[in-house]
Formats: sequence, structure tokens, C-alpha cells
Amino acid sequence: MAETSETQRGPGNPSSEVITENNNLRFDSSDDEAPEEVNFEDSKRSALQSVKDALEASRRDKKTLKEKRRRKQELFLEQKKRRLLPEDVLEEIDATPIRHDAIPCIAGNEVEKEKAMDSSDMKPIKEKARSLQANCSVTTVKHQITASTHQKVAMDFVQSRFYGQGTRRATNNELLSLNNKKGANKGAAFQFANTKLSTVERAKAEKGNKRWLHKNKLIST
Amino acid sequence: MIFSGKLKKGTIRRIMGEFKVHRVRFFDYMPSGIRAIAFNRQTERIAVARVDGSVEIFTILYNLFQEKVIPGKEQRSIEALCWVGERLFSVGLSGEIIEFDLHNLRPRFTIDAYGGPIWTITANPQGTHLAVGCEDGTVKLFEILEDKIQFERNLDRKKGRILSLSWHPSGTKIAAGMMDMIRVFDVKTGHAIHRLLVDKAAGAPRDQECVVWSVVYLSNDTVISGDSSGKVKVWDALTGTLIKNHDVTKWDVLALSLSQDETSLVAGTSEGTVVQFQFLSSVLGKEDKEWVRTRTFKNHTHDVRALAEMDTAIISGGLDTQLVVRPLLEKHDVKSQASALRKAQFPHRRLVSCAKKAQLLLFQYPSHLELWRLGEGEEEGTPGEKVPVRRIPEKLLQLKAKGEEHIFCSAVSPCGEWLVYSTTSSLRLYKLQYENNNISITKVSKLPKVLRWAHQLCFSADSSQLFAASGRSSVHMVSLNPEGCKHKHTFKPKNGSTQPIHLLTVSENGLWLATANSDCEVHIYSLSTLKSHCTVPVYRSGVSAMAIHPTKNNLFIAHADQQVFEFSIELEQYTDWSRKVQREGLHLKWLERDTPIMNVTFNPRNPDHIILHDMYMFCVLDQSLPLPDKKSQFFNQLTLKSLPEQERKTRCHAFKVCKLFQPLMCVDVLEDHSLVVVERSLLDIVAKLPAPVKQKKFAT
Repeated sequence: MAETSETQRGPGNPSSEVITENNNLRFDSSDDEAPEEVNFEDSKRSALQSVKDALEASRRDKKTLKEKRRRKQELFLEQKKRRLLPEDVLEEIDATPIRHDAIPCIAGNEVEKEKAMDSSDMKPIKEKARSLQANCSVTTVKHQITASTHQKVAMDFVQSRFYGQGTRRATNNELLSLNNKKGANKGAAFQFANTKLSTVERAKAEKGNKRWLHKNKLIST
Repeated sequence: MIFSGKLKKGTIRRIMGEFKVHRVRFFDYMPSGIRAIAFNRQTERIAVARVDGSVEIFTILYNLFQEKVIPGKEQRSIEALCWVGERLFSVGLSGEIIEFDLHNLRPRFTIDAYGGPIWTITANPQGTHLAVGCEDGTVKLFEILEDKIQFERNLDRKKGRILSLSWHPSGTKIAAGMMDMIRVFDVKTGHAIHRLLVDKAAGAPRDQECVVWSVVYLSNDTVISGDSSGKVKVWDALTGTLIKNHDVTKWDVLALSLSQDETSLVAGTSEGTVVQFQFLSSVLGKEDKEWVRTRTFKNHTHDVRALAEMDTAIISGGLDTQLVVRPLLEKHDVKSQASALRKAQFPHRRLVSCAKKAQLLLFQYPSHLELWRLGEGEEEGTPGEKVPVRRIPEKLLQLKAKGEEHIFCSAVSPCGEWLVYSTTSSLRLYKLQYENNNISITKVSKLPKVLRWAHQLCFSADSSQLFAASGRSSVHMVSLNPEGCKHKHTFKPKNGSTQPIHLLTVSENGLWLATANSDCEVHIYSLSTLKSHCTVPVYRSGVSAMAIHPTKNNLFIAHADQQVFEFSIELEQYTDWSRKVQREGLHLKWLERDTPIMNVTFNPRNPDHIILHDMYMFCVLDQSLPLPDKKSQFFNQLTLKSLPEQERKTRCHAFKVCKLFQPLMCVDVLEDHSLVVVERSLLDIVAKLPAPVKQKKFAT
């Protein structure tokens, strides 16, 4: 070591040599052995291995997830099965024939309907349904729902044509007040003349009256 | 079921002559607007459909009288009515065609047309087919069979709702009013022949379509339309061209109706006016005629939505809820009852039931009942003065009807312990119990099977029996006990009439029962032998009210044409007084009254006094006094007041009319000899109606 330091310090030494020497020395000092030779094959293998591992892992994850889902599905099915009606009831549903009565005869059906309505709180949306037990019935609801929405649309149409925007409507109050004003025996506007007006409204009207008198200086206070 | 003790406006008690009067103004009766009218020329009946889905049948023979009422139902909105012979059909926005059973007052059958909401229905002049116009743009034809109708086919479907239809009198073509256009269809092929385009109103928004609310197809191939731009247009249906355009209103023309001879046409508008057009030649003596606007009638404050033209009068109805029969004066030669303007504002049947002993009033609304206890006043007071109220009236009960159907009829027993109501398909009886200030209500669960529904209900005077009028003019008698009720007997008329009963009355002593049906028949049954006793000779006009005298056992009958009869049940003949009335005739002022007598009661203090009321007056009929002769003053109460005692006696006559309280819904006498008058102010009804149009009046 001491020697190297001397040579370094010695004048006239070609600098390039020194540097190479120095380089060798540094390798020696960091590791005793030469770096292991890693050939291309090995590195490729290891790289492939790691990729394989990753794929394997993801597949395993997927598999467990799948398993989980399957188990969940099974559970659902189990639950559903538990909730279903017993076999005999289902059979009974299939067994009862559908009654075709487009023209309902009032006498027969009415009593049953009444009974059903009395004993249960369900809405009376059951028409000509298969009768199950005393207060149950099966019926299609979809048609009725669409019918009622159509009816709603039609009603809205009439409402908008009569009382919608731009229909130039007044209020009944105005109509009656106009009659009071134009009639043979003249009177105040209907809202004031009407004695059945609620006290709140009347108080409000009175207040407005007072304010108007005040504003126009018709009253001395 | 809601129990409520809410307090509302106090009654004013007045002492008026010999009666203490409960003036009741807390019945908030609200009629429903008129949507459709159909007139049957053969039977002279008017069918009226209201917005709440109820249908009423009026007769115009002798007087305008409401014969039958078919109660409505939630969700049933009727848009149009149509008579085919004596059968009545209706359609509505629920998409169903309903035929009504006018004997049992209920729908006979319901058929879904599967075309969405239906706006209109018309029968062809031959009476074989019905055409309905649907929301989805189809015109559907139905064949009319004996006891049903059957779908036949659709005409070509076009986009856009069909709001009005009219058949050509030959039955081969149909005109359909749609949005922005009228189409003329050939019935045989089902194809559209013409498309008549209708203009929008000037200044209307671009996206707002013109609605053809009504069309009429004439035999000379003219189509007349009324639309939302306020015009009545006359079209030539052969060439598809517009001939004439009448600007009628700034709002909508909602209804059209043609007279049978096709010389007169009326149009109803949103302003409440009815405009008449006539087919006249512009130059006298020339042949070429055209439609000329002639007259304008204003009998309505709100939109006129339905019209029908009779030969001698125009029937109109609208959202102001009144039915008006306006006579065409050129068709009448002399002034008579037929040439008077008639209005039906209140129903011609009772909606108020009075418990005489318990001092309770039962008010019938379409879907609920209210039970009120009358107030109490101080005992003393001078005649004509208000009496201070000691206890204000109290609402005891509000009972909501179960289900969708509206209430048909209801009654409270005289003792106030039983309450009954019926809809079209169910009858419910309740027992009421009062403990101090509490009231408890229990439903009687086991009713006899015969009590499924009733057209009219009535309790006996001692509240031990219930009478329910059922189909085919029969009456069921049911005895009431706290343990339960038992069916005792069913009374059936001997002649097997199928018409519904609209009036029931039981005598005070519980021996006689009288029924009146829509065929103007009055049957009397004996309750002691449980047999039919006799039948009153049939009079031409319907019975509007009747009652059996508590002591004399005479049946007093008031008819829709204002005639009154007294029939002795024991002798089975008209009484001498009744014969005298018929011989001498009633005063013209009495016969000219507008509304029928709605209730008959008797003064318990004086057996000669009969109390009658209609919408505008109540009258004490004193049978001991002479009848007014034709020239004497009829409304003479004020004159009599100013006369000295001696002269009064000579000028008195049998009819003592009081117009102090009006408009009246009910007048009844309680057991403590006080009088109950139930008033309903017309102004309050108007204040709650839908909005009218905004009209500018000069100098306001």
C-alpha cells in the first residue's frame, strides 16, 4: 500500500499506467473472487420462472375467487329453495284451471271478492285470478300498471289543455267579485263579502285595507 | 274509520212562529261537474255522466226529474255516453266500455278495448255497431249483440289520439276528430278517405296542437267540427275542403250537438256560452242554404262540456255542475211548463238522514259519511229572533267507505244507535254506542245473506227493523237486535216489476210500508200480515217524496210534476181532500215551481199540518184551510202579517210558504217539535269549482 502511494507521488510516471494500476487494486480490495459468471440461459430461465410464478399466483387467486362465488351461488340457491312454496302447493297452482270470464257475472264473484277484501288488507287489484286460498290470488299486474299510467297521461293532457300554461284562466273569487261589482245589488269583492272566510285570511285582508288607507292618507292618525 | 270530535260553525237557532228551527249550514255537499250527456229520443230520458264517474238518468216528461242514480267509483272517469235503444253504454279513460244495467243500477258488464284510454263512443244510426276512439289512434268497431258487445275490427290506425267520432247517417263513413286534423274513414274498407287539416289558433305556441273536441257528420256529406282554437268549421267531406269558418270564442269549442232534422246545431264553449247555428238561406226564398250563427245562450259560468239537442230544447251541462234545459221558444206556441227554463242543481233525492229521537244528522258524501249532533239553545225567545246557543253542534263521527265504490244510500235509525250504508256491491251495518262524550262504533259482522246491497234504506220508527230495497222492486225486512239481525221477510210486488225502488217509507205505528219505484208505481205492504196490501193508481209522473201520516195512516205523495195526492191506506182510496185538490186544481204558482218536493213530514202538534220542501222553500200545508183559488195571491204570508186579525182569516189559504231558508237540502221535524233545515250555499259551491276563464268585462 505504502509503495503504491509512493509511486503515485513519484514524478515522471505516466499517469495512464497509474490509473490502470489503481483500477486493479480497487477490484482486489472490494471482493476476493471474481464475479460469478451468469450466462444468458440462466437469466432467461429465472426470468421465465418469475413470470410463471406470477401467473400461477394470479390463477390461484382467480380460482379461489371462483370457488368463493360458487359457494355463494350455492348458498343463494339453497336459500331460494328454502323460501319456495312446498311442492304440493305449487302443484295445486298448476292444477287449478284458469277461469275465462270476460263478462263478469256479478252475483257469483262479488261475494268472494268481498270476503277477500274484508279479511286482508291487500289492495283490491285482483280480477279474475286463479283462486288459491281464501284470501290469496294470483294476477298479472303489468297490464294494470300500464293502463293506469296511460290514464294518467290522458288526464294530464286534459288538465293541461284546460288549466295549463297560456289558457287564460281566472279564479272563482274573481268571477264572483265581478258579479258583485256588476250585479243589481252591488257588493264588495267576494273574499270580503264572504263571511265564512277563515279568520286568518280576514285579518290579513283587514291589515291590507288599513295599509292602503294609510298610504293614501285617507285616515288621520 | 276516523272518530272525530272536531267543532265547526255553530247553528243559529231561530224561533219562527210555532217552530224552533235548527239552521244547519255545515253540510259541505259538493256536486261534481258534468262530463257527458246523451239524450234518448224514444224514451225521452237524459243520461248524464259526472266527473266522479256517476251516471244519472233524468226524465223530461212533465218536468225535469232525476229518476235514477248510478253511483261512481274511484278511478272510473266517464268520457262519453251513448244510448242504443234502451241500453246505455259509457267509455272512459280507464280504457273500458261499460254497459249499465238500469234496472239494478250497476254496470252490467265491462270490456277492455285494449286501445288505451277511450275518449269517445258513438253508435251507428242503424244501432248495430259501436265505434270507440282510443288514445293510441285506433277506431274500434264493436258489434252490438243481444246481451253483450263483441269486438269486430279496427279501422286503419293513425298516430294521434281520437277525441271525437261521428257516423254518417248512412252508416258507411265515420269522421274522427284528432289532434290537428279530422279524418274521414270508409267503414267497409277501413281506410281513411280524407284528411282535413285544422289550423292552430292565431298566436298559439308552435308546439301546441289544435284539438278537435267534437265533430258532426251530416247526411249531405258536410262535416262540422269544433276545436280548441275556438272555431266551428264547416267542411265538405266529398272534396275535403273548408267551406266556412265561424270564430266563436277565444277559448275552446268543447261540444257540438245537431238537431234530428239537421237544421240546427249548438256549440258549447269554455266561456260557458252555448251558441246556436241554423241552416238557413241567406236570401229569402232561395234554395242555397248555409250555416248561420243565430243565437247565444249563457246559462253557465264555467266550461260547457256536454250538450244534447232535443226537438224543443237544448240540454247543456258543464263544470259548474248544473244541468240546464233551455227551451227553444220558437218551438213553443204558448207559455207553459214545458217552455220554462229548467235547472237541476241539487240531487232530487235525500243525502241527509235525520235521527229524530237522538237529534243526529247523517250526511252522505260520495266516499264517506258524517254524523253530527245538533246544538242546543235556550228555551225562551221571541218569534223571528236568534236564540243564543248553549251547546254548539258537534261532529261525532266520520266514517270512510270501504273500497273504491261510492256510497249509494245511507240511513241512521231514529234512536241513533244504528247506522247503515250501501254501495253497489256491499252493505254495512254499524252499531253505535254513546257513553258520556265518547262514541264507539262496531260493525255488525253477520248480516243475512239477502242484504248484499240496497237501492234505498230505511229504519222503522222504533228502530227495531231495517228495510232495504233490493233488485226487482223487492224489499227485505230485517229485525235488529243487539245480538244480531235476522231476515224476516221479503216483500215483492204482485206485478213483478223490475224497476228499482227509489223511495221507502214506514208508518209511525209500524203497520205499513210504502215503496215507490221508477215506473211511478206505489206499492203498500202490511207489516202485520206480511202481505201486499194494495197499489196506488199509477200516475203519469214520478214520485219525488212520500210519507205516511202518523195518526190518520194516509199516504201523502208528491209527484215530480208538482201534483200532490193523499191516499187512505185503510180505505184503499184517495181521500176527500185529495179529490178536492184534483177537482179544484192547484194554484199556478205552485205548479210553476222549478224543483220537485224532496221530503214530506208532519207536524206532531197539529195533525192537519203537512210540511213539504223543495230547494227554494218549505211549505206548511194546512188541510183544514180552503185551497187557494186561481186568482188569489199565493205567496201571501207578508200580506197576512200586515192585515188585522179579522181580515186574516178570510184571506188565509192552505199553503203557507216560507222562503227564509234556501237553498235547502233537507227539512225535517224532530221529536221535540223543533225543525231542522239543512242549507247549502250555492256561492260556496261556486267558490270551490275549477277555475273559470278570464273574461274582460267592460268598465270593470
